[in-house]
Amino acid sequence: MKNLILSMLLVCLCYSVHAQKYFTKTGTTDFKASVEAFEPVAATSKSTTAILNVQDGSIAALLFMKSFHFKVALMEEHFNENYMDSDKFPKGTFKGKVEGFNLSELSETAKEYTIKGTLNVRGINKDIETLAKIKMVNGAILLIADFSVTPQDFDIKIPKIVRKKIAERINIHIDYELVEKK
Amino acid sequence: MKKYLLIIAILSSSLVYAQDDLLEELESETTEEKFEQPAFKAMKIGNLQSTKVAAKGDLYLYVSHRFGTLKDGVDTFFGLDNANTKIQFVYGVFDGVQLGISRESLRKTYAVSAKFKLMSQNDKFPFNVVGYTTANINSEVSTDRYPYLEFGDRVSYASQLLISRRINNKFSIEIAPTFVRQNLVYEPEQPHSQGALGIGGRMKVSKRMSINADYVYNFRRFDDTIYNNPLTIGLDIETGGHVFQLLFSNAQSTNEPGFISNAEGDWSDGDIFFGFNIVRVF
Repeated sequence: MKNLILSMLLVCLCYSVHAQKYFTKTGTTDFKASVEAFEPVAATSKSTTAILNVQDGSIAALLFMKSFHFKVALMEEHFNENYMDSDKFPKGTFKGKVEGFNLSELSETAKEYTIKGTLNVRGINKDIETLAKIKMVNGAILLIADFSVTPQDFDIKIPKIVRKKIAERINIHIDYELVEKK
Repeated sequence: MKKYLLIIAILSSSLVYAQDDLLEELESETTEEKFEQPAFKAMKIGNLQSTKVAAKGDLYLYVSHRFGTLKDGVDTFFGLDNANTKIQFVYGVFDGVQLGISRESLRKTYAVSAKFKLMSQNDKFPFNVVGYTTANINSEVSTDRYPYLEFGDRVSYASQLLISRRINNKFSIEIAPTFVRQNLVYEPEQPHSQGALGIGGRMKVSKRMSINADYVYNFRRFDDTIYNNPLTIGLDIETGGHVFQLLFSNAQSTNEPGFISNAEGDWSDGDIFFGFNIVRVF
């Protein structure tokens, strides 16, 4: 019986070790590949899911290519059909770490952290390192970051005829409001 | 002993839970949003309407040309001198509903049209189903030729049910049961109401190019009619945002009552028309 109680305690201990995480299902991800003087090539996804383990600073994000919405729906269709092959590669993911993250340091004034990790788009991995601004407002962690990639990073072929209309670097902006996951 | 096994099992499962991967955790929280490739890139396969409907808020400007018959040779420079031009605006009013207005030079025809999506192909349903209807006004016929002409006689209608299926990412097919009503027929023996069946398909030859063909069989033609069933063969070139369609057809009209009832050319003796559709989306 003593053993049983001991084991029960161990089980409880294990659950309490279970990491504290912050989470969102409605994170915003924007990208811009516009060239001035041509029509905007830009889209927004408002259903990015992201999760941050506040004990070790590890972070992951996932979005579906289909959730990117453009101003012109036809552009959206071509984005999915011809550039992203969204039927074959429906999602993009990121997995990484907020370096030196410490929950108790967060305040209402944004603090800069380095995020390092791997972006996976069209099944291809690309290492990313960028600065993120993180703050804590009303119990929610707000995270904003910008970084850029190129179409070649993910083997996205741009036809000659539109090459001038699509920027060489694609700027990505993320904006997450993470709340504690129960 | 059993108790201990149970406890070990609980322990190990909770350990796995504590160590789990953040990405896997996210994946379990999301339901996959699947992108379905469209069956057709453009609103027309060649002449026949495809199951593509303008998205809400998108405004399309179409310019379509059908040159004169190639048979005329150098005399009209293979039809360049006798082009039929159509200008059309199409607007997505609601999700899955588009309205269009157009004017084509052949028979100085004004047209209005509506197209509405009824069903979409997905995991649960195998077809795209779209309704299409159009009314055309022939503003060329005059009372000099038809002294008792009234406004109603200038009008013709076509209604179609478009049913398509993307068999795979390269190959799509469509059938289109059609009803055409011509208040004024150009041959006296021709019945005013005509049933027809359109078939069409596209085969992608590269990521941005496809070969398209469509044919409409008209069930109500009288025996000695000078008109034929329209066969159209074309090439779609998607130029990053816009689709450019080059085609050959034995019909010069691009409007449904025009090409389904009154295709004037004949493939068997080279009496065909070269044409193209270009589109700009706003």
